[in-house]
Amino acid sequence: MKEDKVKKILLFLGAAFLIIFCLAPFVWMLVVSFSKHPDFLSAQSSFMLTVNNYIEIITTPSLHLLRYLLNSIIVSLVSAFFATFFASLSAYAITRMQFPGRILIPLILLAFSMFPQISIVGYLFKLMTWLGWINNYAALIFPYITLGLPLALWIMLSYFSQLSTELDNAALVDGATRFQILQKIIIPIALPGAFSTFVLIFIYSFNEFLFALMLTIDYKARTIPVGIALFEGLHGQVPWGYIMASAVIAIIPIIILIAFFQRYIIQGLSEGAVKG
Amino acid sequence: MKNRNEFKTAETWQAYMFNAPLIIIALLFVFLPVIGTLITSFFRDVTFLPNKFIAFENYKELLSDGHFWQSVRFTLFFVFVSVTLELVIGLIFALTLNESFPGRSIFRIAILIPWAIPIAISARIWQLIYNYDFGLFNYIAIHLGITDQPISWLGSTIGAFFSIVISDVWKSTPFMTIILLAGLSTIPPDLYEQSLVDGTTMWQRFYKITLPLLKPVLVVALLFRTIDAIRIFDLIYVLTGGGPGGSTTSMSFYAYNFLVSGDYGYGSAVSVIVFILAALLAVLYIKFGQFKEVVS
Repeated sequence: MKEDKVKKILLFLGAAFLIIFCLAPFVWMLVVSFSKHPDFLSAQSSFMLTVNNYIEIITTPSLHLLRYLLNSIIVSLVSAFFATFFASLSAYAITRMQFPGRILIPLILLAFSMFPQISIVGYLFKLMTWLGWINNYAALIFPYITLGLPLALWIMLSYFSQLSTELDNAALVDGATRFQILQKIIIPIALPGAFSTFVLIFIYSFNEFLFALMLTIDYKARTIPVGIALFEGLHGQVPWGYIMASAVIAIIPIIILIAFFQRYIIQGLSEGAVKG
Repeated sequence: MKNRNEFKTAETWQAYMFNAPLIIIALLFVFLPVIGTLITSFFRDVTFLPNKFIAFENYKELLSDGHFWQSVRFTLFFVFVSVTLELVIGLIFALTLNESFPGRSIFRIAILIPWAIPIAISARIWQLIYNYDFGLFNYIAIHLGITDQPISWLGSTIGAFFSIVISDVWKSTPFMTIILLAGLSTIPPDLYEQSLVDGTTMWQRFYKITLPLLKPVLVVALLFRTIDAIRIFDLIYVLTGGGPGGSTTSMSFYAYNFLVSGDYGYGSAVSVIVFILAALLAVLYIKFGQFKEVVS
Protein backbone atom coordinates (compact mmCIF):
# COMPACT_ATOMS: atom_id res chain seq x y z
CA MET A 1 0.00 0.00 0.00
CA LYS A 2 2.66 2.48 1.10
CA GLU A 3 4.96 1.48 -1.74
CA ASP A 4 2.20 2.13 -4.24
CA LYS A 5 1.95 5.68 -2.99
CA VAL A 6 5.69 6.28 -3.22
CA LYS A 7 5.65 4.92 -6.74
CA LYS A 8 2.80 7.23 -7.72
CA ILE A 9 4.60 10.28 -6.36
CA LEU A 10 7.83 9.31 -8.14
CA LEU A 11 5.94 8.77 -11.37
CA PHE A 12 4.32 12.17 -11.05
CA LEU A 13 7.66 13.85 -10.35
CA GLY A 14 9.29 12.06 -13.28
CA ALA A 15 6.50 13.07 -15.65
CA ALA A 16 6.52 16.70 -14.46
CA PHE A 17 10.31 16.89 -14.77
CA LEU A 18 10.12 15.41 -18.28
CA ILE A 19 7.55 17.93 -19.50
CA ILE A 20 9.32 20.97 -18.05
CA PHE A 21 12.73 19.75 -19.22
CA CYS A 22 11.61 19.10 -22.80
CA LEU A 23 9.20 21.97 -23.35
CA ALA A 24 10.55 24.96 -21.40
CA PRO A 25 13.04 26.18 -24.05
CA PHE A 26 10.47 25.46 -26.75
CA VAL A 27 7.80 27.52 -24.97
CA TRP A 28 10.32 30.28 -24.33
CA MET A 29 11.06 30.49 -28.06
CA LEU A 30 7.32 30.86 -28.77
CA VAL A 31 6.88 33.55 -26.11
CA VAL A 32 9.79 35.69 -27.34
CA SER A 33 8.73 35.29 -30.96
CA PHE A 34 5.43 37.02 -30.09
CA SER A 35 6.98 39.83 -28.06
CA LYS A 36 7.64 43.31 -29.35
CA HIS A 37 10.64 43.59 -27.04
CA PRO A 38 12.77 40.46 -26.76
CA ASP A 39 14.45 41.95 -23.68
CA PHE A 40 11.14 42.22 -21.80
CA LEU A 41 12.61 40.49 -18.73
CA SER A 42 14.80 43.49 -17.96
CA ALA A 43 13.31 46.22 -15.78
CA GLN A 44 13.17 48.95 -18.45
CA SER A 45 11.19 46.89 -20.93
CA SER A 46 7.77 45.29 -21.31
CA PHE A 47 6.29 42.35 -23.22
CA MET A 48 3.72 43.81 -25.68
CA LEU A 49 2.16 41.08 -27.83
CA THR A 50 2.82 41.31 -31.58
CA VAL A 51 2.97 39.17 -34.72
CA ASN A 52 5.22 41.72 -36.37
CA ASN A 53 8.30 39.49 -36.08
CA TYR A 54 6.63 36.88 -38.25
CA ILE A 55 5.40 39.38 -40.80
CA GLU A 56 8.81 41.05 -41.05
CA ILE A 57 10.83 37.88 -41.60
CA ILE A 58 8.41 36.57 -44.20
CA THR A 59 8.07 39.81 -46.13
CA THR A 60 11.71 40.90 -46.08
CA PRO A 61 13.15 39.26 -49.23
CA SER A 62 16.77 39.95 -48.28
CA LEU A 63 16.47 37.58 -45.32
CA HIS A 64 15.73 34.61 -47.64
CA LEU A 65 14.10 32.76 -44.76
CA LEU A 66 11.48 30.93 -46.80
CA ARG A 67 14.09 30.08 -49.43
CA TYR A 68 16.32 28.49 -46.76
CA LEU A 69 13.34 26.49 -45.52
CA LEU A 70 12.49 25.39 -49.06
CA ASN A 71 16.13 24.36 -49.66
CA SER A 72 16.08 22.32 -46.45
CA ILE A 73 12.84 20.58 -47.36
CA ILE A 74 13.93 19.74 -50.92
CA VAL A 75 17.35 18.47 -49.89
CA SER A 76 15.94 16.41 -47.02
CA LEU A 77 13.10 14.91 -49.09
CA VAL A 78 15.40 13.83 -51.92
CA SER A 79 18.08 12.48 -49.57
CA ALA A 80 15.55 10.58 -47.47
CA PHE A 81 13.94 9.06 -50.53
CA PHE A 82 17.16 7.77 -52.07
CA ALA A 83 18.67 6.62 -48.78
CA THR A 84 15.51 4.60 -48.06
CA PHE A 85 15.32 3.23 -51.60
CA PHE A 86 18.96 2.15 -51.83
CA ALA A 87 18.90 0.72 -48.30
CA SER A 88 15.75 -1.30 -49.14
CA LEU A 89 17.36 -2.82 -52.25
CA SER A 90 20.39 -3.76 -50.23
CA ALA A 91 18.43 -5.08 -47.26
CA TYR A 92 16.32 -7.23 -49.57
CA ALA A 93 19.41 -8.88 -51.04
CA ILE A 94 21.07 -9.32 -47.64
CA THR A 95 18.06 -10.98 -46.01
CA ARG A 96 17.02 -13.20 -48.96
CA MET A 97 20.06 -14.03 -51.04
CA GLN A 98 23.31 -15.86 -50.39
CA PHE A 99 26.47 -14.07 -51.51
CA PRO A 100 29.95 -13.38 -50.21
CA GLY A 101 30.00 -10.17 -48.17
CA ARG A 102 26.39 -10.18 -47.01
CA ILE A 103 27.42 -9.93 -43.38
CA LEU A 104 30.29 -7.57 -44.08
CA ILE A 105 28.28 -4.87 -45.93
CA PRO A 106 26.05 -3.81 -43.01
CA LEU A 107 28.95 -3.96 -40.56
CA ILE A 108 31.18 -1.79 -42.74
CA LEU A 109 28.33 0.66 -43.22
CA LEU A 110 27.79 0.74 -39.47
CA ALA A 111 31.47 1.59 -39.05
CA PHE A 112 31.09 4.33 -41.68
CA SER A 113 28.26 5.87 -39.68
CA MET A 114 30.64 6.35 -36.76
CA PHE A 115 33.09 8.42 -38.80
CA PRO A 116 33.13 11.96 -37.43
CA GLN A 117 31.85 14.44 -40.01
CA ILE A 118 34.89 16.63 -39.50
CA SER A 119 37.10 13.86 -40.94
CA ILE A 120 34.98 13.87 -44.10
CA VAL A 121 34.12 17.53 -44.67
CA GLY A 122 37.58 18.89 -45.52
CA TYR A 123 38.10 16.56 -48.43
CA LEU A 124 34.43 16.70 -49.37
CA PHE A 125 34.87 20.44 -49.84
CA LYS A 126 37.73 19.80 -52.28
CA LEU A 127 35.75 17.10 -54.07
CA MET A 128 32.68 19.33 -54.45
CA THR A 129 34.82 22.25 -55.63
CA TRP A 130 36.36 19.97 -58.25
CA LEU A 131 32.90 18.77 -59.33
CA GLY A 132 31.64 22.36 -59.40
CA TRP A 133 28.84 21.46 -56.97
CA ILE A 134 29.55 24.00 -54.23
CA ASN A 135 26.38 25.99 -53.40
CA ASN A 136 24.33 23.40 -55.25
CA TYR A 137 21.71 20.98 -53.87
CA ALA A 138 23.80 18.05 -55.13
CA ALA A 139 26.65 19.01 -52.78
CA LEU A 140 24.33 18.27 -49.85
CA ILE A 141 22.13 15.52 -51.26
CA PHE A 142 24.89 12.97 -51.94
CA PRO A 143 26.58 13.32 -48.55
CA TYR A 144 23.17 13.28 -46.81
CA ILE A 145 22.21 10.05 -48.57
CA THR A 146 25.43 8.55 -47.23
CA LEU A 147 24.75 9.86 -43.74
CA GLY A 148 21.30 8.27 -43.81
CA LEU A 149 22.25 4.94 -45.39
CA PRO A 150 23.56 3.08 -42.30
CA LEU A 151 20.50 3.82 -40.17
CA ALA A 152 18.19 3.12 -43.13
CA LEU A 153 19.92 -0.18 -43.87
CA TRP A 154 19.72 -1.39 -40.28
CA ILE A 155 16.06 -0.53 -39.93
CA MET A 156 15.18 -2.14 -43.26
CA LEU A 157 17.23 -5.22 -42.36
CA SER A 158 15.32 -5.75 -39.17
CA TYR A 159 12.08 -5.10 -41.03
CA PHE A 160 12.79 -7.51 -43.90
CA SER A 161 13.99 -10.24 -41.58
CA GLN A 162 10.55 -10.19 -39.91
CA LEU A 163 8.76 -10.67 -43.24
CA SER A 164 8.11 -14.25 -44.27
CA THR A 165 10.09 -15.52 -47.26
CA GLU A 166 7.34 -17.95 -48.31
CA LEU A 167 5.73 -15.60 -50.79
CA ASP A 168 8.89 -14.73 -52.66
CA ASN A 169 10.13 -18.34 -52.62
CA ALA A 170 6.88 -19.39 -54.25
CA ALA A 171 7.27 -16.63 -56.84
CA LEU A 172 10.87 -17.72 -57.52
CA VAL A 173 9.67 -21.26 -58.22
CA ASP A 174 7.12 -19.81 -60.63
CA GLY A 175 9.97 -18.24 -62.54
CA ALA A 176 9.69 -14.63 -61.43
CA THR A 177 12.92 -12.63 -61.40
CA ARG A 178 14.29 -11.13 -58.21
CA PHE A 179 13.46 -7.67 -59.43
CA GLN A 180 9.86 -8.59 -60.23
CA ILE A 181 9.49 -10.07 -56.77
CA LEU A 182 10.85 -6.93 -55.20
CA GLN A 183 8.56 -4.74 -57.24
CA LYS A 184 5.34 -6.76 -56.98
CA ILE A 185 5.58 -8.45 -53.59
CA ILE A 186 8.21 -6.96 -51.35
CA ILE A 187 7.81 -3.21 -51.88
CA PRO A 188 4.07 -3.24 -51.12
CA ILE A 189 4.52 -5.08 -47.83
CA ALA A 190 7.68 -3.19 -46.89
CA LEU A 191 6.13 0.24 -47.31
CA PRO A 192 5.35 0.88 -43.62
CA GLY A 193 8.93 0.05 -42.63
CA ALA A 194 10.29 2.12 -45.48
CA PHE A 195 8.09 4.99 -44.43
CA SER A 196 9.38 5.16 -40.87
CA THR A 197 12.92 5.01 -42.25
CA PHE A 198 12.08 7.86 -44.61
CA VAL A 199 10.76 10.04 -41.77
CA LEU A 200 13.87 9.44 -39.66
CA ILE A 201 16.32 10.20 -42.46
CA PHE A 202 14.33 13.30 -43.33
CA ILE A 203 14.74 14.59 -39.77
CA TYR A 204 18.46 13.74 -39.72
CA SER A 205 19.05 15.54 -43.03
CA PHE A 206 16.99 18.52 -41.90
CA ASN A 207 19.21 18.74 -38.79
CA GLU A 208 22.61 18.53 -40.48
CA PHE A 209 24.80 21.57 -39.98
CA LEU A 210 28.54 21.17 -40.68
CA PHE A 211 28.25 20.03 -44.32
CA ALA A 212 25.64 22.67 -45.09
CA LEU A 213 27.85 25.31 -43.47
CA MET A 214 30.91 24.41 -45.54
CA LEU A 215 29.40 23.35 -48.86
CA THR A 216 26.92 26.19 -49.44
CA ILE A 217 27.56 29.90 -49.88
CA ASP A 218 24.25 31.75 -50.09
CA TYR A 219 20.48 31.44 -50.38
CA LYS A 220 20.70 29.28 -53.52
CA ALA A 221 21.44 26.20 -51.46
CA ARG A 222 21.86 27.29 -47.83
CA THR A 223 19.67 25.31 -45.44
CA ILE A 224 17.56 26.71 -42.62
CA PRO A 225 19.79 25.64 -39.66
CA VAL A 226 22.74 27.48 -41.23
CA GLY A 227 20.56 30.45 -42.14
CA ILE A 228 19.36 30.80 -38.54
CA ALA A 229 22.80 30.20 -37.04
CA LEU A 230 24.24 32.99 -39.18
CA PHE A 231 21.29 35.36 -38.60
CA GLU A 232 22.89 38.62 -37.52
CA GLY A 233 21.52 42.09 -36.96
CA LEU A 234 22.36 45.10 -39.06
CA HIS A 235 23.65 47.45 -36.41
CA GLY A 236 25.39 45.05 -34.09
CA GLN A 237 22.18 44.37 -32.18
CA VAL A 238 20.99 40.77 -32.29
CA PRO A 239 17.39 40.72 -33.64
CA TRP A 240 16.13 38.14 -31.14
CA GLY A 241 12.47 38.56 -32.08
CA TYR A 242 13.22 37.76 -35.72
CA ILE A 243 15.47 34.86 -34.83
CA MET A 244 12.88 33.24 -32.56
CA ALA A 245 10.11 33.72 -35.12
CA SER A 246 12.37 32.15 -37.78
CA ALA A 247 13.08 29.26 -35.44
CA VAL A 248 9.35 28.69 -34.97
CA ILE A 249 8.74 28.66 -38.72
CA ALA A 250 11.75 26.40 -39.30
CA ILE A 251 10.58 23.70 -36.93
CA ILE A 252 6.94 23.59 -38.02
CA PRO A 253 7.61 20.77 -40.53
CA ILE A 254 9.46 18.85 -37.82
CA ILE A 255 6.72 19.28 -35.23
CA ILE A 256 4.11 18.07 -37.75
CA LEU A 257 6.18 14.96 -38.45
CA ILE A 258 6.58 14.19 -34.75
CA ALA A 259 2.93 14.73 -33.94
CA PHE A 260 1.78 12.34 -36.66
CA PHE A 261 4.51 9.72 -36.70
CA GLN A 262 5.68 9.63 -33.08
CA ARG A 263 5.23 5.85 -32.90
CA TYR A 264 7.19 5.17 -36.11
CA ILE A 265 10.02 7.48 -35.09
CA ILE A 266 10.48 5.89 -31.68
CA GLN A 267 10.33 2.41 -33.18
CA GLY A 268 12.80 3.26 -35.94
CA LEU A 269 15.25 4.90 -33.55
CA SER A 270 15.32 1.97 -31.15
CA GLU A 271 15.64 -0.58 -33.94
CA GLY A 272 18.40 1.35 -35.66
CA ALA A 273 20.51 1.86 -32.56
CA VAL A 274 20.09 -1.24 -30.45
CA LYS A 275 19.34 -4.17 -32.70
CA GLY A 276 16.63 -5.63 -34.88
CA MET B 1 26.25 -29.73 -60.50
CA LYS B 2 27.35 -27.28 -63.14
CA ASN B 3 23.82 -25.96 -63.35
CA ARG B 4 23.71 -25.26 -59.67
CA ASN B 5 26.98 -23.39 -59.80
CA GLU B 6 25.71 -21.27 -62.61
CA PHE B 7 22.60 -20.46 -60.63
CA LYS B 8 24.77 -19.50 -57.70
CA THR B 9 26.94 -17.19 -59.78
CA ALA B 10 23.87 -15.55 -61.26
CA GLU B 11 22.39 -15.01 -57.82
CA THR B 12 25.66 -13.58 -56.47
CA TRP B 13 25.85 -11.22 -59.42
CA GLN B 14 22.23 -10.15 -58.86
CA ALA B 15 22.83 -9.60 -55.16
CA TYR B 16 25.72 -7.28 -55.93
CA MET B 17 23.51 -5.34 -58.35
CA PHE B 18 21.04 -4.81 -55.50
CA ASN B 19 23.86 -3.57 -53.30
CA ALA B 20 25.63 -1.51 -55.93
CA PRO B 21 23.98 1.91 -55.37
CA LEU B 22 24.56 1.76 -51.63
CA ILE B 23 28.17 0.59 -51.97
CA ILE B 24 29.09 3.11 -54.67
CA ILE B 25 27.62 6.11 -52.84
CA ALA B 26 29.16 5.11 -49.52
CA LEU B 27 32.57 4.62 -51.14
CA LEU B 28 32.45 7.95 -52.99
CA PHE B 29 31.13 10.18 -50.22
CA VAL B 30 32.43 8.60 -47.02
CA PHE B 31 35.31 6.27 -47.75
CA LEU B 32 37.04 8.41 -50.38
CA PRO B 33 36.87 11.64 -48.30
CA VAL B 34 38.23 9.88 -45.22
CA ILE B 35 41.16 8.48 -47.20
CA GLY B 36 41.60 11.91 -48.78
CA THR B 37 41.71 13.52 -45.33
CA LEU B 38 44.28 10.96 -44.17
CA ILE B 39 46.52 11.61 -47.20
CA THR B 40 46.12 15.39 -46.88
CA SER B 41 47.28 15.18 -43.27
CA PHE B 42 50.73 14.10 -44.51
CA PHE B 43 51.07 17.22 -46.66
CA ARG B 44 51.68 20.86 -46.13
CA ASP B 45 48.48 21.83 -47.91
CA VAL B 46 47.81 25.53 -47.49
CA THR B 47 45.85 27.71 -49.92
CA PHE B 48 48.14 29.72 -52.27
CA LEU B 49 51.21 27.63 -51.38
CA PRO B 50 52.50 24.65 -53.36
CA ASN B 51 51.59 21.29 -51.78
CA LYS B 52 54.50 19.50 -50.19
CA PHE B 53 54.76 16.01 -48.71
CA ILE B 54 56.01 16.38 -45.14
CA ALA B 55 55.21 12.89 -43.70
CA PHE B 56 54.43 13.19 -39.98
CA GLU B 57 55.40 16.86 -39.54
CA ASN B 58 51.75 17.95 -38.93
CA TYR B 59 51.38 15.30 -36.24
CA LYS B 60 54.67 16.27 -34.61
CA GLU B 61 53.47 19.84 -34.51
CA LEU B 62 50.22 18.69 -32.88
CA LEU B 63 52.14 17.11 -30.01
CA SER B 64 53.59 20.44 -28.95
CA ASP B 65 50.48 22.49 -29.79
CA GLY B 66 49.01 23.69 -26.50
CA HIS B 67 45.74 24.78 -28.12
CA PHE B 68 45.28 21.30 -29.54
CA TRP B 69 45.73 19.70 -26.12
CA GLN B 70 43.34 22.20 -24.64
CA SER B 71 40.73 21.10 -27.22
CA VAL B 72 41.38 17.45 -26.32
CA ARG B 73 40.93 18.18 -22.61
CA PHE B 74 37.76 20.17 -23.22
CA THR B 75 36.28 17.50 -25.51
CA LEU B 76 36.96 14.60 -23.14
CA PHE B 77 35.74 16.50 -20.08
CA PHE B 78 32.63 17.64 -21.93
CA VAL B 79 31.88 14.09 -23.12
CA PHE B 80 32.29 12.68 -19.62
CA VAL B 81 30.06 15.24 -17.88
CA SER B 82 27.27 15.40 -20.45
CA VAL B 83 27.02 11.70 -21.25
CA THR B 84 26.88 10.88 -17.53
CA LEU B 85 24.07 13.39 -17.00
CA GLU B 86 22.25 12.16 -20.10
CA LEU B 87 22.44 8.59 -18.85
CA VAL B 88 21.03 9.43 -15.40
CA ILE B 89 18.24 11.70 -16.64
CA GLY B 90 17.51 9.39 -19.58
CA LEU B 91 17.08 6.47 -17.18
CA ILE B 92 14.66 8.49 -15.03
CA PHE B 93 12.63 9.43 -18.13
CA ALA B 94 12.67 5.89 -19.52
CA LEU B 95 11.46 4.42 -16.20
CA THR B 96 8.69 7.05 -16.15
CA LEU B 97 7.55 6.40 -19.73
CA ASN B 98 7.68 2.64 -19.19
CA GLU B 99 4.76 2.90 -16.75
CA SER B 100 1.27 3.24 -18.17
CA PHE B 101 -0.54 6.45 -17.30
CA PRO B 102 -3.13 8.65 -19.05
CA GLY B 103 -1.79 10.94 -21.78
CA ARG B 104 1.40 8.99 -22.28
CA SER B 105 1.53 9.73 -26.01
CA ILE B 106 1.69 13.48 -25.25
CA PHE B 107 4.81 12.75 -23.22
CA ARG B 108 6.27 10.72 -26.05
CA ILE B 109 5.76 13.65 -28.42
CA ALA B 110 7.30 16.03 -25.85
CA ILE B 111 10.41 13.87 -25.52
CA LEU B 112 10.96 13.89 -29.28
CA ILE B 113 10.92 17.69 -29.56
CA PRO B 114 14.45 18.45 -28.27
CA TRP B 115 15.82 15.58 -30.35
CA ALA B 116 14.18 16.68 -33.59
CA ILE B 117 14.90 20.42 -33.53
CA PRO B 118 18.13 21.14 -35.44
CA ILE B 119 20.92 21.83 -32.92
CA ALA B 120 21.92 25.03 -34.68
CA ILE B 121 18.40 26.33 -34.11
CA SER B 122 17.99 25.19 -30.52
CA ALA B 123 21.42 26.67 -29.80
CA ARG B 124 20.01 30.09 -30.70
CA ILE B 125 17.16 29.56 -28.23
CA TRP B 126 19.69 28.65 -25.55
CA GLN B 127 21.84 31.64 -26.46
CA LEU B 128 18.88 33.86 -25.60
CA ILE B 129 18.15 31.95 -22.38
CA TYR B 130 21.81 32.42 -21.27
CA ASN B 131 21.77 36.14 -22.16
CA TYR B 132 23.49 38.24 -19.48
CA ASP B 133 21.07 41.19 -19.41
CA PHE B 134 17.65 39.71 -20.16
CA GLY B 135 18.11 35.93 -20.27
CA LEU B 136 15.64 33.61 -18.58
CA PHE B 137 18.31 31.88 -16.47
CA ASN B 138 19.61 35.07 -14.89
CA TYR B 139 16.06 36.30 -14.34
CA ILE B 140 15.15 33.12 -12.46
CA ALA B 141 18.44 33.02 -10.55
CA ILE B 142 18.07 36.61 -9.35
CA HIS B 143 14.37 36.38 -8.51
CA LEU B 144 14.81 33.16 -6.55
CA GLY B 145 17.63 34.87 -4.68
CA ILE B 146 20.23 32.32 -5.80
CA THR B 147 22.52 35.17 -6.81
CA ASP B 148 22.27 38.95 -6.59
CA GLN B 149 24.56 39.58 -9.58
CA PRO B 150 23.74 38.21 -13.04
CA ILE B 151 25.84 35.18 -13.99
CA SER B 152 28.03 35.50 -17.07
CA TRP B 153 26.88 32.26 -18.68
CA LEU B 154 28.66 32.53 -22.00
CA GLY B 155 31.38 34.97 -20.98
CA SER B 156 33.18 32.96 -18.32
CA THR B 157 35.11 29.71 -18.67
CA ILE B 158 32.98 27.72 -16.22
CA GLY B 159 29.74 29.34 -17.36
CA ALA B 160 30.45 28.59 -21.02
CA PHE B 161 31.35 24.98 -20.22
CA PHE B 162 28.10 24.37 -18.35
CA SER B 163 26.07 26.27 -20.93
CA ILE B 164 27.26 23.81 -23.54
CA VAL B 165 26.69 20.84 -21.24
CA ILE B 166 23.12 21.95 -20.38
CA SER B 167 22.19 22.50 -24.04
CA ASP B 168 23.69 19.18 -25.06
CA VAL B 169 21.95 17.31 -22.26
CA TRP B 170 18.66 18.86 -23.35
CA LYS B 171 19.25 17.85 -26.95
CA SER B 172 20.54 14.31 -26.38
CA THR B 173 18.73 12.94 -23.34
CA PRO B 174 15.65 12.07 -25.46
CA PHE B 175 17.72 9.75 -27.62
CA MET B 176 19.10 8.04 -24.51
CA THR B 177 15.55 7.77 -23.15
CA ILE B 178 14.22 6.09 -26.30
CA ILE B 179 17.02 3.52 -26.41
CA LEU B 180 16.65 2.71 -22.71
CA LEU B 181 12.88 2.51 -23.11
CA ALA B 182 13.36 -0.09 -25.86
CA GLY B 183 15.62 -2.00 -23.46
CA LEU B 184 13.10 -1.82 -20.61
CA SER B 185 10.32 -3.19 -22.83
CA THR B 186 12.31 -6.39 -23.44
CA ILE B 187 12.35 -7.30 -19.72
CA PRO B 188 9.68 -9.98 -19.25
CA PRO B 189 6.96 -8.77 -16.83
CA ASP B 190 6.67 -12.19 -15.12
CA LEU B 191 10.08 -11.54 -13.55
CA TYR B 192 8.60 -8.61 -11.65
CA GLU B 193 5.42 -10.51 -10.78
CA GLN B 194 7.40 -13.42 -9.41
CA SER B 195 9.54 -11.17 -7.24
CA LEU B 196 6.45 -9.25 -6.11
CA VAL B 197 5.11 -12.55 -4.75
CA ASP B 198 8.42 -13.01 -2.94
CA GLY B 199 7.79 -9.67 -1.19
CA THR B 200 10.67 -7.60 -2.51
CA THR B 201 10.67 -3.81 -2.35
CA MET B 202 10.60 -1.49 -5.34
CA TRP B 203 14.31 -0.63 -4.90
CA GLN B 204 15.31 -4.28 -4.68
CA ARG B 205 13.48 -4.99 -7.92
CA PHE B 206 15.25 -2.07 -9.57
CA TYR B 207 18.71 -3.23 -8.47
CA LYS B 208 18.18 -6.97 -8.84
CA ILE B 209 16.09 -7.12 -12.04
CA THR B 210 15.93 -3.87 -13.98
CA LEU B 211 19.56 -2.72 -13.84
CA PRO B 212 21.25 -6.07 -14.60
CA LEU B 213 18.88 -6.86 -17.47
CA LEU B 214 19.22 -3.35 -18.85
CA LYS B 215 23.02 -3.45 -18.74
CA PRO B 216 23.67 -4.55 -22.36
CA VAL B 217 21.41 -1.79 -23.71
CA LEU B 218 22.95 0.71 -21.29
CA VAL B 219 26.45 -0.08 -22.56
CA VAL B 220 25.37 0.30 -26.19
CA ALA B 221 23.52 3.58 -25.53
CA LEU B 222 26.52 4.90 -23.60
CA LEU B 223 29.00 4.07 -26.37
CA PHE B 224 26.70 5.41 -29.07
CA ARG B 225 26.29 8.73 -27.28
CA THR B 226 30.01 8.95 -26.50
CA ILE B 227 30.92 8.50 -30.17
CA ASP B 228 28.39 11.16 -31.05
CA ALA B 229 29.44 13.61 -28.33
CA ILE B 230 33.14 13.36 -29.16
CA ARG B 231 32.53 15.10 -32.49
CA ILE B 232 30.57 18.03 -30.98
CA PHE B 233 30.59 21.01 -33.31
CA ASP B 234 27.22 22.72 -33.97
CA LEU B 235 26.52 23.84 -30.40
CA ILE B 236 29.98 25.34 -30.01
CA TYR B 237 29.84 27.10 -33.35
CA VAL B 238 26.62 28.90 -32.40
CA LEU B 239 26.88 29.27 -28.60
CA THR B 240 30.47 30.22 -27.79
CA GLY B 241 32.51 30.21 -31.00
CA GLY B 242 35.05 28.22 -28.98
CA GLY B 243 35.50 30.97 -26.40
CA PRO B 244 36.07 32.58 -24.05
CA GLY B 245 39.80 32.38 -24.71
CA GLY B 246 39.52 29.06 -26.58
CA SER B 247 38.28 27.31 -23.42
CA THR B 248 35.33 25.64 -25.18
CA THR B 249 37.06 24.79 -28.46
CA SER B 250 36.27 21.15 -29.20
CA MET B 251 38.55 19.02 -31.37
CA SER B 252 36.12 19.21 -34.31
CA PHE B 253 35.84 22.98 -33.95
CA TYR B 254 39.63 23.31 -33.74
CA ALA B 255 40.02 21.31 -36.95
CA TYR B 256 37.26 23.33 -38.63
CA ASN B 257 39.06 26.60 -37.89
CA PHE B 258 42.11 25.36 -39.80
CA LEU B 259 40.04 23.99 -42.68
CA VAL B 260 38.16 27.26 -43.26
CA SER B 261 41.33 29.32 -42.97
CA GLY B 262 42.80 27.24 -45.79
CA ASP B 263 45.27 25.13 -43.80
CA TYR B 264 44.00 21.73 -45.00
CA GLY B 265 47.08 19.77 -43.97
CA TYR B 266 47.01 20.68 -40.28
CA GLY B 267 43.19 20.70 -40.12
CA SER B 268 43.17 17.21 -41.60
CA ALA B 269 45.70 15.98 -39.04
CA VAL B 270 43.41 17.17 -36.21
CA SER B 271 40.44 15.52 -37.98
CA VAL B 272 42.34 12.24 -38.20
CA ILE B 273 42.85 12.28 -34.42
CA VAL B 274 39.10 12.79 -33.90
CA PHE B 275 38.55 9.95 -36.33
CA ILE B 276 40.89 7.59 -34.45
CA LEU B 277 39.19 8.35 -31.12
CA ALA B 278 35.77 7.66 -32.62
CA ALA B 279 37.02 4.52 -34.40
CA LEU B 280 38.36 3.01 -31.16
CA LEU B 281 34.97 3.54 -29.51
CA ALA B 282 33.17 2.24 -32.63
CA VAL B 283 35.04 -1.06 -32.40
CA LEU B 284 33.77 -1.45 -28.84
CA TYR B 285 30.27 -0.46 -29.91
CA ILE B 286 30.09 -3.02 -32.71
CA LYS B 287 31.46 -5.66 -30.36
CA PHE B 288 28.93 -4.95 -27.61
CA GLY B 289 26.01 -4.25 -29.95
CA GLN B 290 25.73 -7.92 -31.05
CA PHE B 291 25.02 -6.72 -34.58
CA LYS B 292 26.37 -9.89 -36.18
CA GLU B 293 23.53 -11.95 -34.71
CA VAL B 294 20.97 -9.77 -36.47
CA VAL B 295 22.46 -10.33 -39.89
CA SER B 296 23.24 -14.04 -39.71
